[in-house]
Amino acid sequence: MESPRNRRYFAKKKVCRFCTEPLEIDYKNVDLMSRFISDRKKIVPRRNSGLCAFHQRQLAIAIKRTRYMALLPYTVLH
Amino acid sequence: MALKPNYYETLYVVRPDLKEDELSKIQSKLPEFIEAHEGEVMKSDKWAERSLAYEILDHKRGVFYILIFKALPTVTRDIEKHLRFYNTDVLRFMTVKITEEVAVREKNAAESSAAESEVAETPPAAETAKAPEAPAEPAPTEEPKSETVETAADQPETPQEVTPEETAAQPQEQETPIEEPTEPQAAEAETEVQSAPETAEEEGGKE
Repeated sequence: MESPRNRRYFAKKKVCRFCTEPLEIDYKNVDLMSRFISDRKKIVPRRNSGLCAFHQRQLAIAIKRTRYMALLPYTVLH
Repeated sequence: MALKPNYYETLYVVRPDLKEDELSKIQSKLPEFIEAHEGEVMKSDKWAERSLAYEILDHKRGVFYILIFKALPTVTRDIEKHLRFYNTDVLRFMTVKITEEVAVREKNAAESSAAESEVAETPPAAETAKAPEAPAEPAPTEEPKSETVETAADQPETPQEVTPEETAAQPQEQETPIEEPTEPQAAEAETEVQSAPETAEEEGGKE
């Protein structure tokens, strides 16, 4: 049984960027990392980032490293 | 009990107002630690000077230096201990294990940029390409510095990978977007247990 809601979901489904593009997850690549944080500087969840589980985990680690090196903020309150 | 050498990358941030001699005091020790245990310094460079995302010890800006090396795991302890000793000057430091592939690529990039600066400047400094400089020598450190800053500013996308020398060296990286499926992340994560199954597959049906 297909509800309209499901159909909308499947139309939106993304493929993991790091699987399809020759990109590397690197904590020093600040511009790339900043694309995966929200406006409140939270890490974007997988349903929004569209990444596969493997790369989402790598990305989360990388973003935390970036934050530690003061390349990205932890919050907007700094 | 065979300890094998690994490839590491240390990124550290120093105060922007740090004097040259104080900086060299900090940096000169680092290759010693590495080479004392048959390690190899593959790259030692200024990475960038940029404003920090948050203040550290009331500093709003910081100068980032990068050190890529091959050494036994115990060496990282010495290096971190040394950096921690200067904890008012070194604001942050972090050592990350990297794959050999990445390390070699960075080394080649560093060498070619060093070679380029040699051609531009002084031919006699021929060794600097081979042995990434001890910070005592001002000339080789100076050149790559400005270069990395430039590339970081020009190409915010991928500051490391697409330095001009490197594209010249290995053009196939640009031409074929789908290269052989290297998995550089697999080994990169330091102590990751890669066991978590794909549990999160109930695709966000309930948002």
